[in-house]
Amino acid sequence: MTDVLRIENLGKSYGSNAALRGVTLAVADNEYVSLLGPSGSGKTVLLRLIAGFEQPDMGRILFDGKDIASVPAHERGIGFVFQNFALFPHLSVYDNISFGLVNRVNAPVTDGSALRSRVMEMVELVGLIGLEDRGVHQISGGQRQRVALARTLVSQPRIVLLDEPLGALDANLRTRMRGEIRRIRSQLGVTFLHVTGSETEALAMGDRIVVLDNGSVGQIDTPDTVYNSPVSPNVARYLNCYNLFSGTIGGGTFSDGAHSFPLSGTPKPNASPAYAIRQDLITVRPSNSPLASGEAGFAATYLASEYTGAAFMYFFRAVDGHIVEVENHLSHRAPQTLDVNATYQLVWKADDALVYG
Amino acid sequence: MTIATPVPDSSDTTPVGPVARPSRAAYWLIAPGAIWMTLFLVVPLGMMVYVSFWSQTTFKIEPILTTKSWMAFFSSDTYLSALWTTIRIWLLVLLTTFVVGYPTALFVGLFVKNKTLATALLVLCVIPFWTSFLIRVLAWRPMLGKEGAINIILQAFHITREPIEALLFTELSVIIGMTQIYCVFMVGPIAFMLGRIDPNVIEAARDLGASFWRIFRTIILPLSMPGVIVGGIFVSVMVLGEFATAAALSGRKVNMLGNIIVTQVGSLKWAFAAVVGVILTILMGLVVAGFLRIVDLKREL
Repeated sequence: MTDVLRIENLGKSYGSNAALRGVTLAVADNEYVSLLGPSGSGKTVLLRLIAGFEQPDMGRILFDGKDIASVPAHERGIGFVFQNFALFPHLSVYDNISFGLVNRVNAPVTDGSALRSRVMEMVELVGLIGLEDRGVHQISGGQRQRVALARTLVSQPRIVLLDEPLGALDANLRTRMRGEIRRIRSQLGVTFLHVTGSETEALAMGDRIVVLDNGSVGQIDTPDTVYNSPVSPNVARYLNCYNLFSGTIGGGTFSDGAHSFPLSGTPKPNASPAYAIRQDLITVRPSNSPLASGEAGFAATYLASEYTGAAFMYFFRAVDGHIVEVENHLSHRAPQTLDVNATYQLVWKADDALVYG
Repeated sequence: MTIATPVPDSSDTTPVGPVARPSRAAYWLIAPGAIWMTLFLVVPLGMMVYVSFWSQTTFKIEPILTTKSWMAFFSSDTYLSALWTTIRIWLLVLLTTFVVGYPTALFVGLFVKNKTLATALLVLCVIPFWTSFLIRVLAWRPMLGKEGAINIILQAFHITREPIEALLFTELSVIIGMTQIYCVFMVGPIAFMLGRIDPNVIEAARDLGASFWRIFRTIILPLSMPGVIVGGIFVSVMVLGEFATAAALSGRKVNMLGNIIVTQVGSLKWAFAAVVGVILTILMGLVVAGFLRIVDLKREL
């Protein structure tokens, strides 16, 4: 695999506010990379720098091995799909898609039949056949998303940057469009860089995930590696499926002041010690049940539950006020009947926990 | 067997809400407006048309129907040339307010990113309205006159040797005055429409490789057309009915239909004034209807 895009030590500040602090990453040809980060992590800034809408303060962006700092946005061969689609409101679906080919400064397509065949090919690929003469206000949100994709893809960019492309859609459409976008991408063999704030979207769509943490790269890896072994407590936090404790490590145990858990294996290096246990790896037992060897756990007060269809989320409060979430997936276990304000023992295998320090 | 009509898939199209049936209360709500418009618009208009067919002699006017006043209008070179002057000045002022107003609106509505600053600039455009209409018109005399500010400056910089006399009391001065007074009515609606354009749309067009001029022609201008149309209607209606600027800045040399009405009413020629009034009203109606054909304002605004 060759790297089509390399980003080296990229930095950008707004006044005294550092949005990006030295981001380094490489994107391979024909790859789907999702860029996960909470709001304010600098993910949109990174995308705008790559697109050329803004200039970096430091670092380099290499496209096919060449520095593109001095290349204006429209000559980079990089497509951009906006969060709100930014379709041309007064033009039809067809005219939106053909806009770039007709109006670009470099080598515009002037031959009518060549233009028509290229646009219609794209209309067919994104599944908009029969709608090409409609105005963009006469089609649904999912269809507008397809127009936005087609408008960018018809110019045959090497890379397409997608800024939260599913953010403007409602939930069921979002899930459907995930598969559609993956299908369109693999059919064309274009590299996609997809920015999202949703961990499920990032896990579902990317061949690899880049987790942005406070302006720098937290982790780059395949979705299952990121999900099962996040390299830092912050990455674990953004995945939204871990209970995190901060404390100290000493004498083979991790202690957060109120509880101590036995350690197994060596902690992953991190500036401050932390202990993470995935929500679905915790079991709830009666308060008097003892811990077996190789198990960790503590007593907590049951607060409430939330039914999500395939699972129950149980919320507990530890003695120090820490809120702990337990996911009881219904394909693994039957729902439990728990009494509010009663105390239970939360137990997990010490091997399942991730320790940083 | 029934013929199946294609049912639009509701999930694929923006749903169109059912047309609400106005209730009894709704009729009461429009009553004051309807009564007002009937009394002070519909009835006077009817009256004007009626009076235009009355018999007019030097000293009196009688409700005996005749087409004499109408014949007089269409057989007189003076009045037909006033009609032509009105149309010519209207078209020229429409053009100059657009040429001066559009770039201004483009600057305020699109290039000024700060919304507060944009509002402040628009307020600045309205400041001349703090003085009365007549003073604004008359203020052009010391500007354009033979010994006026513009001539003094031109001579001081040795650009001209002799004062340019054509600046004042000509059709040119009327057009300059009207452009200044009515320009803001063009700027406002256009700036409003330009301010509503999503900046991402322009960025998207740039990312697709279009030059600024292309983006202006294919995206910005079409999206601001409703503003141009509204501004055009404002300016047209006001300029077509104008008489004060023409009188004050042309030394009564340029006669528009409005000036004819003023003179005829002054000499109590009501029937003839009514004829000119009807013609002017029809002209305005045609102009507004023409503008509304260009853009579907109900859809765009």
